[in-house]
Amino acid sequence: MTATDPSAAGTIDTTANGLARWLTEAWGRAVDVSGLRESSAGARRRNVLFDARVDGKVVALAATILPTAEIQIIDVAIEAAVRSVAERGGVPVPHVHGVCTDDGYVGGPFFISDRIEGDTIARRILRQAAATGHGEIVVNQIGDALARLHAIDPSEAPPGLPGTVDMQPITTAMAGVTEAVAGLLRPEPAFSYGLRWLRDNLPDEPASCRIIHTDVRNGNIIVGPEGLRAILDWEGSRFGDPMEDVAWPCTRMWRFGDDDKMIGGLGGLAPYRAGYEAAGGVWNEERFRWWRVLVTLRWGTGLAGQTAAHLDGRFRSIVMAGSGRRVIELAYDMLQLVKPD
Amino acid sequence: MQYRPDATELLADVAALLDGEVLNAVGGPLQHRVRVAANLVRIVEREVRAGAANDAAERARLIELLGPADGDADLVALRAQLAARLDDPTPLLAGQSAAIHAALVVTVRADLAISKPSYDNWDGE
Repeated sequence: MTATDPSAAGTIDTTANGLARWLTEAWGRAVDVSGLRESSAGARRRNVLFDARVDGKVVALAATILPTAEIQIIDVAIEAAVRSVAERGGVPVPHVHGVCTDDGYVGGPFFISDRIEGDTIARRILRQAAATGHGEIVVNQIGDALARLHAIDPSEAPPGLPGTVDMQPITTAMAGVTEAVAGLLRPEPAFSYGLRWLRDNLPDEPASCRIIHTDVRNGNIIVGPEGLRAILDWEGSRFGDPMEDVAWPCTRMWRFGDDDKMIGGLGGLAPYRAGYEAAGGVWNEERFRWWRVLVTLRWGTGLAGQTAAHLDGRFRSIVMAGSGRRVIELAYDMLQLVKPD
Repeated sequence: MQYRPDATELLADVAALLDGEVLNAVGGPLQHRVRVAANLVRIVEREVRAGAANDAAERARLIELLGPADGDADLVALRAQLAARLDDPTPLLAGQSAAIHAALVVTVRADLAISKPSYDNWDGE
């Protein structure tokens, strides 16, 4: 096992025992855990699916386990709280049953939520959409879910959620991506061109910030034959411009080759925007366009950062080495978004 | 001079081994890393074939944009110079932005021909 393998934090058996022990204490009844298996694990966290038997009933559950407390982007308790706030706002999320910040049970902090059946792997979702023809329904539902999230009163946000309601997300993002481009290991004039476009087309700040997810896309959703079932991976949640959240699922890398379907290779902009607006979302075309360019460019610098971490030895990984050769893909996508008239 | 196989032939052989026998022999998360490694070897194979000509063409485009006075600079310095010009908020001359954009697209397409062929089959909405 290497440091890059998230399952290194615990074996299946010790994880099952730890979850059973915690659930037994939390629920005050004997809980038996079985059928434990790893779901598609991200680089930073394990998603473990299991059955909990309590009082003769079987409950389908999932545990999201962080390898160590220091890798968390936001605290696991805040992430779980954001999910619950989103759920109350009508966003489809797996219901959270409990949070544990003690490393002593499964080797890291975790939270437990309902296990929702369905496809989570992007290419499988695309195959299902091709078979059922429901892609446009799914993107309409994603638009609906985002609008519901953005409609939540910011005062409902859990304490500690990054950002503030009166922050300036445009200015903040512009400064961040400018610094990231300056830190590239080689000058990339295409990125400088994109930065210049962003500066020349700087929109007004939104009136106020909202809770945003920041990573809604094909790959962070659960889809069944009837459509969207849940939005996953709330670890990047923070305050921000709703249009940033709306722009991210439209980026090209989540289409997996089907460029005719802007949102996740599933459906076009029209049903997505209709879903957003029907649920009360306020669409701002100028900021939408600006954020599409910004998030594309920023993801390019993110890939460059992965390669920097590989090259300087902070995180040696052949995958991160390869990320450096993907930077140019984002430069290409960005240049297509900023074509001169 | 080295005997055959030449560099590109060897790299193609290594890539075929990785995403053939090696991929079939391993399981779990290592499969993904082996696929990535095979892809990277194929990128290097294409770079050995086309990299030098790409760089020379990019250099010529940059000199055309920046002016012949900079003709002695190496490619990285020329790229830095264009980046600095774009970072400078002074307005560009009429048509200059479009000319720079067009040149950048040509350069990026050439880089993609090495790192991800056919990625440029999309030209925006």
